[in-house]
Formats: sequence, C-alpha cells, structure tokens
Amino acid sequence: MIDNNEPVLETRSLSKRFSIGTRFSAEGRRTVHAVDNVSLTVRRGETVGLVGESGCGKSTLARCLVRLYDITDGELLFEGDDIASKSLSELRPLRRRLQMVFQDPSASLNPRRRVGDLVAEPLRIHTKLSSAEIKKRVAELFDLVGLLPDHVMRYPHEFSGGQRQRVGIARAIALNPDVVVLDEPVSALDVSVQAQIVNLLADLQEKLKLTYVFIAHDLSVVRQVSTRIAVMYLGSIVEEGPAEEVFTTPAHPYSQALISAVPIVETTPGGTRKRIILSGDVPSPLKPPAGCRFHPRCPIAVERCRTERPELKERQPGRKVACHFPTLA
Amino acid sequence: MILSVRDLRVSFRTEDGLVRAIDGVSFDLAEGEILGVVGESGSGKTVSLLAVMGLITDPNAIIEGSIRYKGRELVGLPARELRRLRGNEIAMIFQDPMTALTPVYTIGWQIAEQIRAHQNISKSKALERVEQLLAEVNFPNPHEAMSRYPHQLSGGMRQRAVIAMALSCNPALLVADEPTTALDVTVQAGILDLVRKLRSTHNSAVVFITHDMGVVSELADRVMVMYAGRVVERGSRSELFSDPQHPYTRALLGSIPPLTGEKPRRLPAIPGSPPSLLRLPQGCAFGPRCPVRYEPCVATKPDLGTATHAAACFRVAQA
Repeated sequence: MIDNNEPVLETRSLSKRFSIGTRFSAEGRRTVHAVDNVSLTVRRGETVGLVGESGCGKSTLARCLVRLYDITDGELLFEGDDIASKSLSELRPLRRRLQMVFQDPSASLNPRRRVGDLVAEPLRIHTKLSSAEIKKRVAELFDLVGLLPDHVMRYPHEFSGGQRQRVGIARAIALNPDVVVLDEPVSALDVSVQAQIVNLLADLQEKLKLTYVFIAHDLSVVRQVSTRIAVMYLGSIVEEGPAEEVFTTPAHPYSQALISAVPIVETTPGGTRKRIILSGDVPSPLKPPAGCRFHPRCPIAVERCRTERPELKERQPGRKVACHFPTLA
Repeated sequence: MILSVRDLRVSFRTEDGLVRAIDGVSFDLAEGEILGVVGESGSGKTVSLLAVMGLITDPNAIIEGSIRYKGRELVGLPARELRRLRGNEIAMIFQDPMTALTPVYTIGWQIAEQIRAHQNISKSKALERVEQLLAEVNFPNPHEAMSRYPHQLSGGMRQRAVIAMALSCNPALLVADEPTTALDVTVQAGILDLVRKLRSTHNSAVVFITHDMGVVSELADRVMVMYAGRVVERGSRSELFSDPQHPYTRALLGSIPPLTGEKPRRLPAIPGSPPSLLRLPQGCAFGPRCPVRYEPCVATKPDLGTATHAAACFRVAQA
C-alpha cells in the first residue's frame, strides 16, 4: 500500500518569501509570503495533487520542491537528506532524479532547436552515453510518450500543443527521475487532447514507477490523477488527505467552496449540488489577514478565527485540516 | 428572433492558402435566451461572433452569408451604422479584461465615456449611472472603485468592470467570449451568477462562448457544438447533455474526468488532434478521429438539418 511507502520528498515548515520594491518605492521594501510554513510529505509511487486559486502559492511551492527557487526557511528533504541549502554544484547529481514539466510547452522548449536535441540534452549533461546510445535512448523515449521516430528532426512549432507537451514529458523522464513535478501540464491543452496526456502520465507512472506532484487548477483533472490532495490558500495548506475523501467530504470551508464552484455537466436538470459562492477576493499575500487567513471570506467564521490562526492538524487518520471548526464525519 | 445568422462563411486569405474559419454556420437567438457555443480552439466559435459584431477588419477576410439583427442585415452595413449598434444595443465581453480596458483611465471614466458615447446625458448623470452599475455587478465599494485604475483591481473585479460597461446601455444582445476562462472557479461562479441575473432583469439575449462543457450545462438554454468551422450539433441543454448524438459531442463529454462518482481507470480520450483549417478533409472534418466513421464520411460533409435537436452526422441520420 502506498501509505506505507517511504517518503521520497518532504518539506518541513518550508517558506518562500520574495522581497519587492526598493527603499525608494512608495511603500518601501515589502515582503510577499508566497509559501508560508508548508509541511508536506510525498511518498514513493503516489501522486500528490496541489490545488488552489491563482496566487495561492502552488507554483512557487512546486519550484521550491525542485529547487528552482532558493528556499527562505525550513527544510526540504529528498530521501531524508536536507537539500534546502545545498549549493548548485551539490544539487547537480540530484537534478536527474527530480524533474519538472511546465504548463506552456511552447515557452519551455527552445524554438530554434530540433526536439530530438531537446530531449537528448539532459542525457548529454548528466550521462556519459555515446552519441549512438543517446540516439537510441531518444528513440525509446519518443516511443514511450507516443511520438513517431521521424519526429526527432522537427522543430517545436511543427507540433500541436498536445504533441509539444509530449516532448516536454519525454525530456522530463529522459533520466529516469524518481519524482516529477508537473505544473499545470494540461491546462494549456484543448479538452479533447487533455485526456490523452492525462492517460499518458498515468501509463508512465505505472511503467516507470514515478512519483508525481501534480498541480492544476482544474479540479476534475486533479481528482482523476491524484491519490492525495493538498488544498492551498494564500501560501499555506488548509487541507490535506486522500483524494477521494477530500473530494466527497471536504472538511475545510475553503475546500468546500472550491469544490462546489466547479461547473459540472448535469444530465438531470436542476441538479442536487449546493453551490457556495465566496464573497470578496483572495487577499493580497503582501498583507495577509490576521488569524485564520480565510476568515474574511469564510461563511462560518467567528471571533476566534479573527485572532487565532488554526494549525494544520491531523483530525482523522490521514486527514489534516487547518480550521477551528472542520466538517468531519 | 433578435438574431438570425444564415449560412455564415468566413475565410482568410493567407500565404499558405485559404483558411476556412467558418464554413456555413446558421443559428437563431430569441429574446432573453442564453445560447452556449462550445468548441475547441480553432473551431470557429470566436470568429463567428466577431463576424456578428462586425469586428473582422482584416482586409484578407472574406465574409459571406447573412446576419440579421432585429430583422436588419448587418453584413455590409457601413462602419458608422455598426458603431451605433455596438456598445449600445449589442455589447461584448472578452476573455481578457485587461485588453478590454485602457490602463491610463479610471474605471469610472471608462464606463462613463461608453454611456456618453451612446446617450445624450450629462457627465454627472453618467457617473451616477456608473456607480449604480458597479453596485449591480457586486463591487463591494462602488464609489471608491470608480476612481481605480484597471491594474489596481483583481482579475475578477476587472471582468466585473467590463461587464458593468457592457451593461451600461441595457443591451438587447450580449456576446461573451470565454469571459471566465482566465478566472478562478470561485470567481467564475460569481460571474456566471451575474450573467443569469442580467438575463432575468434586463431580458437580454446572451451568446456565451466557452470550451467548458460544465459552464454551458449550468448556464445555457440552448447549446451549439462547433468543430472545424461547422456546427456539428445543436439542441436544448437537456437534449444535448442527456442525449448527445454526434460522436464528437459524445467523445468530448466522455473525455472530461468526472468530479463525483466512480473514477475511470483510463479516460476515454479522443485520438489525434483537431485538423488544420488549411487542409480540411473533403468529408466530415471529425472523420479522421471518429470511432464510427464509414464510407460516406470520407467523401461528403454531413448536413446539420433543420430539427431543433440535430447532429451533422451520417450515422445519426441513418439511425
């Protein structure tokens, strides 16, 4: 069972802050708390889905996980080894085991290079394979992601969006990584193509024993791929638990509102779903509200929520909620 | 009928040949009705509505067919006449509110300008009306919002401002092109609510373009599914979602992962990708990806027919 697998990637009180402005700007130097005190465990073979609205810090967290960003505070453990403050040269051998797929394949692929070269690049940097071996490996990878062998000579613009994302995936899995962080991998694709990529990712996970961290704003896609879900709001995780449980009985008022807001195709007119419409906007991470960060928009907030910030605590086996009044069975 | 479109064809001359963006689209829209137009990128949903608005100014565009608004032919209407309708009787909302607003004027100024361009009222009266409108689209503090610049507002608030602008002259027809695609689901829910409210208070007809089947099923009275420049299926919401006929509609609905209930081990995906509009197949454009294609599909394009719930498919016609 996946629950008993050893953790492969783990964050402990991880924070990422950005400084913006200079001392000459109107408001002076300010700090954005993009990721605030996040503790998350990713076990081998599972898919952790990160969901939340834009600006909640999910992409920043993803980039911290593969150390594309320097981490401000806290620990990042890869197989128990803290890599949060490792130097770039110390990180290099780890890069091949921690890979990332980006949202926009046309932005992440160099338009002036043939896709065969793009997929071969990580092999050239990280392995000592001969060029014939690299060629063979690239052909293997193309086959694995469903591209044709003669596609290696093409340029990225000659592909459709879905095919380009296949190239991005081929490049990410070229070095047999342990963990792949996928940041909105299907959001830029047409609906009819999304399903192909979702299936491809599932097949690859099974074949190559991959561990995924999957970020998307489309909740139905996240549900399809994830074994566990973490819901983020304003830089922190507000709820975490097995995907099925979080989707059927969300415990945090924010998760409830988020899931209820997804428009779904209802074949029976009228429908039975109750929609919770949140008032207001996500507050600025420059000046997050005191107490529970969700309280200004929360339908059940009371005085205590305004002053005391709830901790992310395990309320039921496997289910963590950061709320003073979680809805749990 | 407030809007009748008949056999609309839009093509663009390009260096690589003629791109047939719209290839014979017809539809009607009644007062107070919400028509959902669904399709993927390149299916022609945006171009067909730009044609209706008279916003295709590309000299290489060829527009044929008929677009009647309240019985008046819009194709070939002089720009001045069109401008009198646009923004006044026909309003639009686009996907990206940032491009629909100018960054150098306040929200209040921009909406007031729109009102004064079409109505003969004083500036102070116009500003009063703006405040009302902003309140109507649920701005928490309308008076303060009027003095804000677009960059000071969040995406959801910007889109609300654009909607307020679209409503400023009580349009009889509102065209919304993916107005919620750039927004988060929780914000989207509020905007959809607003569109519904408008229809009931102003009795405006709405054409709502989206790629999201879920949004259509929540909002639309009638639905039109487009693929490669043609309408492949149309029907009322309940007809289309409980009894989809066209293989494309069915496949599209099937490929959306469910949010509740049992989750399939694999998603039933549609193979391939949408065809290039430069090299459309001679027969049915969906043919190459269709699981039930047979001989007739290769040579001729199936017609939609005239029924209220109709699918352009030989298999459906045969059954």
